Amino acid sequence: MYLRGSLKVLTTTALGDLKMDSPKEPQPTGEFKCQLCGLTAPYMYYGQKPPNTRSVELLEDCYVMKDPFTPDKEKILILGSLCSLCGLSVCVGAECSLFYSKRFCLPCMNENLQAFPLEIQEDMDKRKPQQKSFPGKKMDTRT
Amino acid sequence: MEPEPGPSRWAWDCPVARRRLEELYFPRRACPEETRSFWAFFERLRRFQSRRPEREAAWDDDDDDDEDRPPSRRLGLPRRYHPRHRVNLAVPKPEPSPSRPWVPREALQEFLDALLLYLDFEQKRSFAKLAKLQRERQALPIARARRQLLQAVAGNQVVVVAGDTGCGKSTQVPQFLLAAGYRRVACTQPRRIACVSLAKRVAFESLQQYGDQVGYQIRFESSRSPATSIVFLTEGLLLRQAQREPALPAYGVIIADEVHERHLHGDFLLGVLRRLLPARPDLKLVLMSATINIRLFSDYFGGAPVLQVPGRIFPISVIYEPIPKEEVAAAAGKPERLDPRPYLRVLQAIDHKYPPEERGDLLVFLSGVAEIGAVQEAAQVYATQTQRWIVLPLHSTLSVSEQDKVFDVPPPGVRKCILATNIAETSVTIDGVRFVLDSGKVKEMSYDPQGKLQRLQEFWISRASAEQRKGRAGRTGPGVCYRLYAESDYDAFPPYPVPEIQRVALDALVLQVKSMGLGDPRTFPFLEPPPSASLETAVRYLRDQGALDEAEELTPIGTLLAQLPVDVVVGKMLVLGALFGLAEPTLTVAAALSVQSPFLRLSNANPDCATARRPLESPHGDPLTLLNAFNEWVQVKSERGGSSRKWCRRRGLEEHRLYEAANLRRQFQELLRDHRLLEAAPSRPSDSYSRQSRHRERRELHRLWRHHTETQGRKRKVLRLQDGTAGSSGEEEEGAGAREHGERSVDIQDVKFKLRHDMDELQAVSGSVLSPSQLALLKLVLCRGLYPQLAVPDALNNSRKDSDQIFHTKSKQGVVLHPSCVFATSPELLHAKEGKERGGTKEDGLSRHHQLLAFVSLLETTKPYLVNCIRVPALQALLLFSRSLDTNADCTRLVADGWLELTLPDAAAALRFLAAALQLRASWEKLLDQQLDPGGDEPSSRDLSALKRGLLEFLGMEAPYRLRQLTGLEKQALYVGPQTVPAAPHLPGLFQGTELKPDEVKGGHRVTEFLTYNCLATDTDLYSECLRTFWTCPHCGLHMPFTPLERMCHESACQPTEAPPEEEAGSSSKTSALHRLYHCDICQQDFTLTPTDILRHKKQHQ
Ligand SMILES: [Zn+2]
Ligand SMILES: [Zn+2]
Repeated sequence: MYLRGSLKVLTTTALGDLKMDSPKEPQPTGEFKCQLCGLTAPYMYYGQKPPNTRSVELLEDCYVMKDPFTPDKEKILILGSLCSLCGLSVCVGAECSLFYSKRFCLPCMNENLQAFPLEIQEDMDKRKPQQKSFPGKKMDTRT
Repeated sequence: MEPEPGPSRWAWDCPVARRRLEELYFPRRACPEETRSFWAFFERLRRFQSRRPEREAAWDDDDDDDEDRPPSRRLGLPRRYHPRHRVNLAVPKPEPSPSRPWVPREALQEFLDALLLYLDFEQKRSFAKLAKLQRERQALPIARARRQLLQAVAGNQVVVVAGDTGCGKSTQVPQFLLAAGYRRVACTQPRRIACVSLAKRVAFESLQQYGDQVGYQIRFESSRSPATSIVFLTEGLLLRQAQREPALPAYGVIIADEVHERHLHGDFLLGVLRRLLPARPDLKLVLMSATINIRLFSDYFGGAPVLQVPGRIFPISVIYEPIPKEEVAAAAGKPERLDPRPYLRVLQAIDHKYPPEERGDLLVFLSGVAEIGAVQEAAQVYATQTQRWIVLPLHSTLSVSEQDKVFDVPPPGVRKCILATNIAETSVTIDGVRFVLDSGKVKEMSYDPQGKLQRLQEFWISRASAEQRKGRAGRTGPGVCYRLYAESDYDAFPPYPVPEIQRVALDALVLQVKSMGLGDPRTFPFLEPPPSASLETAVRYLRDQGALDEAEELTPIGTLLAQLPVDVVVGKMLVLGALFGLAEPTLTVAAALSVQSPFLRLSNANPDCATARRPLESPHGDPLTLLNAFNEWVQVKSERGGSSRKWCRRRGLEEHRLYEAANLRRQFQELLRDHRLLEAAPSRPSDSYSRQSRHRERRELHRLWRHHTETQGRKRKVLRLQDGTAGSSGEEEEGAGAREHGERSVDIQDVKFKLRHDMDELQAVSGSVLSPSQLALLKLVLCRGLYPQLAVPDALNNSRKDSDQIFHTKSKQGVVLHPSCVFATSPELLHAKEGKERGGTKEDGLSRHHQLLAFVSLLETTKPYLVNCIRVPALQALLLFSRSLDTNADCTRLVADGWLELTLPDAAAALRFLAAALQLRASWEKLLDQQLDPGGDEPSSRDLSALKRGLLEFLGMEAPYRLRQLTGLEKQALYVGPQTVPAAPHLPGLFQGTELKPDEVKGGHRVTEFLTYNCLATDTDLYSECLRTFWTCPHCGLHMPFTPLERMCHESACQPTEAPPEEEAGSSSKTSALHRLYHCDICQQDFTLTPTDILRHKKQHQ
């Protein structure tokens, strides 16, 4: 119901004097789609050096959008990237991929689980029971 | 935990130490929230790590570990595990700088690791939000209909989307169209609030990818810009745009949402669009409706395809609990008070059946505010006992902050019990409702076209409304709906609510039809035609008000009124006020009368509020009290800025409505300027210094505004048990204010207000005090605007208790004052001050000071109430404004509009009054026509001041008279009728040379459009002609027997001789107006003579 800073405000045409210039939003360059869960979102940049972002560097080529949940213009949101093994484009959601110095889609991960450190294997085991809902049929029907 | 060697020496808690790191790694962070949130994360992380086993607590790369790691070479993974590797981000090295502060290496490492995790955490949080949002959108039933919808729109000019609440059509359809490349989309909504929230929602859900392409436009506010691709606006606003540009060239797609609600504007808009479609083959129209009566819409648009979308609603079980007969019978004794027992039983049932850990609130639908009060009182007692409920009212007359409370969250184990009117049916959506309690009743305005009376009446709801109410329980999970009626009652309900067009006054609609050039409103192809009686009443009313002429075409004033988004009455006030140079106070009054009253209903427990209000109250009436309140408020704002909120709270004023009034006032002002009824804003002389400081001020306001819009959004609060306590609204609001205050101390409404309005101008205008004569004229202006909405005090009011004062209108006997009315608290203001000066007694009813009430509306709830009254002198008001004035032969008896009788025993005084009124009405009318004629000259200031002077003198005239309502019987036998009239009036040239025509209905003679002379059936008319006495005219020296009427007539005709010489210049027309052709039967000759000359001529023959 309550949204933060999600509107560019405000020019009044009805009354005429509340003119405010709103900085131009960067336009999306395309649509990102996770090939595992089907999540789609518009992205504005693909690569390792998103424009207008100085406070953080990326360690892989990512699909990036401006973080829509904060008014901060420099904040980016990483949507996903390509699996370093199979090249599938996957979102960063824990049910689709994992980053451990590189991006791995979950199917590739599971195939190569032994190659990963124990800490990660343990994490994967812990998550197993929850994985029933994967893929794509998350039962969130609440609004 | 033992202290770690390195980092612990670094004093993490010291702000200086923290600032060093902040300077390095948050160089551009002006936002303290960001750093604060990082340090909070940092502390949580440290606490967490200190609790974990050592192996994982070790964050140091150099730490040697004996444990074997699985070979990871094949994938090129790092040799050793480190959580850092799980993050796909890195923090760039800060710019090397000589003044770089020193930080120990270990501390720096700890900080960097934490920062990295923090950034990663932020990513995960935002991504989770995004994923949730997309999942939810995907799960909406409408999502599956996307392709079908786009195909339908591509292939048809009109498409109907039918889907029930929760199917997501309102938010998704606009996005589908945008994503498919449609631009210039308008989406209409019945309610303003929905425009704003939908625009925000759509901008949010579409992840800002359309940026400022998503906007809204409501009456006073707009976020529209040239980049806007889709705008959410009200039905009324789109209609206004169609009025200006009938082809609506700004739009390529129009989505009309919620058409099933059948609001007046919505229905009319569909009619306008239907007419437009053939002329705009490129225009797409998407109608969106609940699954109610879809055929009607589809057929209206020539069988437009219908896309049905199932709603998504959880199962709801319905429990019928009709009120037992004995309770119904008990309640019948005191019909004014609702019996809360059935409602309490449901609260108890819920407590009994559902453990408090199972969350879910109760939404109760009641018919009105009084009913809410009754249940609230009882439920509050129960809530205090059980500590399991927070009782909150919800209706449109509550202050905004109190309305907002229903969105807050109750503490665990406690449920909200929201007592709402039908605004919760569609307008307000409250999440978390699991139980609905439906009274089955609604109060709606119903309209009686004959009496032009609006009534707030209680009805059974329709089946569609009952379903809508029930559905509110199933938005977030399975729910329960209790109905306080039997299933058989439900079956007997009408299927749909009565469309608004069937039950409201159609004045504004007819004006709009006319001004849009849509021809005769009687033949306009409405979705469902309104009752013809309503249309006829509206047409007649507009003709009476001078907005339509005899041919039912718009008059100049009608054209203007059609553009004012207000009641005809209020529009007329504006025009009349502008004529007398009273535009400013009239603007304020008109605006204040057009919004909901800012005066909140005071509870009895709040005497301080009433005391604080008193200085604002005007003894002349409520509209002037509103004027005082507004002016005072503006002064407070300009002097003390943000503290106006507190000022309002102390007086029980809803500030939000004052803001609305200010906006509306400005809109009116611009309309008047556009029509050159008001001079353009004076350009203020300004030196560069004051210009600069004004500029600075505005820049600061803009900054505040921007900051607000970037951080806006009210967070939900957790309610406290005492939040529901009834009757402590004063305290409540202080509390709410303080809570708000903590969040942000800037009053954003104040900022908005100051950005939108020229404060200096407004302050100057609201600071000027009206002189007594200005006030008197303003009252006349208001009264003329309100006419014929008049009420007469009951003759016996003087002897009644203050609270029992009774009034009568022409169509309604026995109405009372609304409790908010100033005369309700001070009724003595209305009593005709008895003339000690003339020794009159109360019994004979003679007084010089009878008064009438002009009222803005007559509202019928439990009783018929007069709302917003001003008092006016009865004789003057009736003589100046009556549509029909009937007299006896010597004009000592006058009947106004066929219901009020005025008797002036002094015939000479009666004629003086009548003559003055005739002259004033004629010149007022003439000047008004000049004012409104766009091609003509402005009325001259000399004529205007003469009129004003004349009116003030008229108001100052005094004579004792009686005022009473005619009885029904008297009304029937009021007129002599045509057959008994003497063949010809005795005096040609009566009343300044107007033609006298026998009145074929009333008898007597028509003098002007409104005045019929000597048509009253009385005894005196038989003798009046004989009652001549000798009299000498002071001007011409004529000496002869006159009836009072002849004398009056001669006197007025004689006046030109004493006219000031400067009028000579234009006298040719003036003289000719007075001269008339006279044929003398005795000398058989034609003369062109003034009436005086005619008299003189006749005398020769006697
Ligand atoms: Zn995915
Ligand atoms: Zn893969």
